[in-house]
Amino acid sequence: MCLLFDHSLGFMINYICLRNETKMNTIDPIISLAILLFAALIHAFFQLSISVLTLLSGHSLGRKTAHRRLVNLSTAFITGAAAMTFLLLSAFAWVFDKPQIELLLPALWTITSGAAIGVGISVWLFYNRKNQGTSLWIPRPFARFLHDRAKHGQNVAEAFGLGMTSVFGEIIFVFAPLSIAALIIIQTDVQLQLLSALVYTGVSILPLLIVGVMICRGHKLSHIQRWRESNKRFIQFSAGFGLVIIGLYIFVEQVLTSAVRAPGI
Amino acid sequence: MNTLIDVVKRSGQRPAQSFDREKFHRSIYAACLSVRVPEGEAASIANRVSEAVTLWLNNRPVVTSSDLRRVAGAHLHRYHPDAAYFYHHHRYII
Repeated sequence: MCLLFDHSLGFMINYICLRNETKMNTIDPIISLAILLFAALIHAFFQLSISVLTLLSGHSLGRKTAHRRLVNLSTAFITGAAAMTFLLLSAFAWVFDKPQIELLLPALWTITSGAAIGVGISVWLFYNRKNQGTSLWIPRPFARFLHDRAKHGQNVAEAFGLGMTSVFGEIIFVFAPLSIAALIIIQTDVQLQLLSALVYTGVSILPLLIVGVMICRGHKLSHIQRWRESNKRFIQFSAGFGLVIIGLYIFVEQVLTSAVRAPGI
Repeated sequence: MNTLIDVVKRSGQRPAQSFDREKFHRSIYAACLSVRVPEGEAASIANRVSEAVTLWLNNRPVVTSSDLRRVAGAHLHRYHPDAAYFYHHHRYII
């Protein structure tokens, strides 16, 4: 039994070392971290989770829910959003991390940078609806579904599920920063991959965390909503601008520069 | 208490309903609680807004839910602007 364990452990260590040797460490660690943080920051600009948390808290307060229960619901919602972000990022990394990844990387970077620029322009054009409030691009039947679930969500499991759904519901927009982060993560050392994914998740849910803490500490929802409404165009512009900038940077740094540096050119 | 006034829904997809003062009162009360108005004050505001809206509904056999919401919001704004804002905007959050 001990021998078998010893063999398995040895195999795993060899496998990890081999993977590390074959990894293409083309990106400087500091630049990797900066791109990862910037992608997470762009992800943090997307608003669906904050909108659903605001509604969930509003309906909970309107039902005279006890403060402790409100805190539990908010915590479960934020945990659900964080779990879904982490799972999506892990799934993207798993999809990208294939044995022939070195050959596919230039193509993947090209597609990802194009997607980031395209999504950035789409955010400028479509992310917020033109009417009053903070209505988002999402189809109205889905918005009504989320509204109803937030209205009737009374237990922690429902709040957790709602948090997961709210992140997944924005996948059309967040797949660009998630793809960039996943491509960065699969090129970092194996020991740092989990930490990188956690850092991305932490930064991307930071606004949700801040709003959750504000609600639990007794801030008025109307003030939070007023702030969101008055700054929605700035948030929309920043998210789109960030995506365009990161898309252009990646295209220049990872696609054009790599092509120029390639042997034989 | 259901008053014999038909409330036509905004989208027109659901059938018209009779005006239910209790339901209306609950919605104003919940809006006040959502912005952390104390319960007693919330009940008092909801009573006053309900009375004002019931008065407005006299001589109107049919109203739309948007009109009802607009008038209720205007009355609520006199007593608590934050609650009025949340009452009016909660359907435009997502």
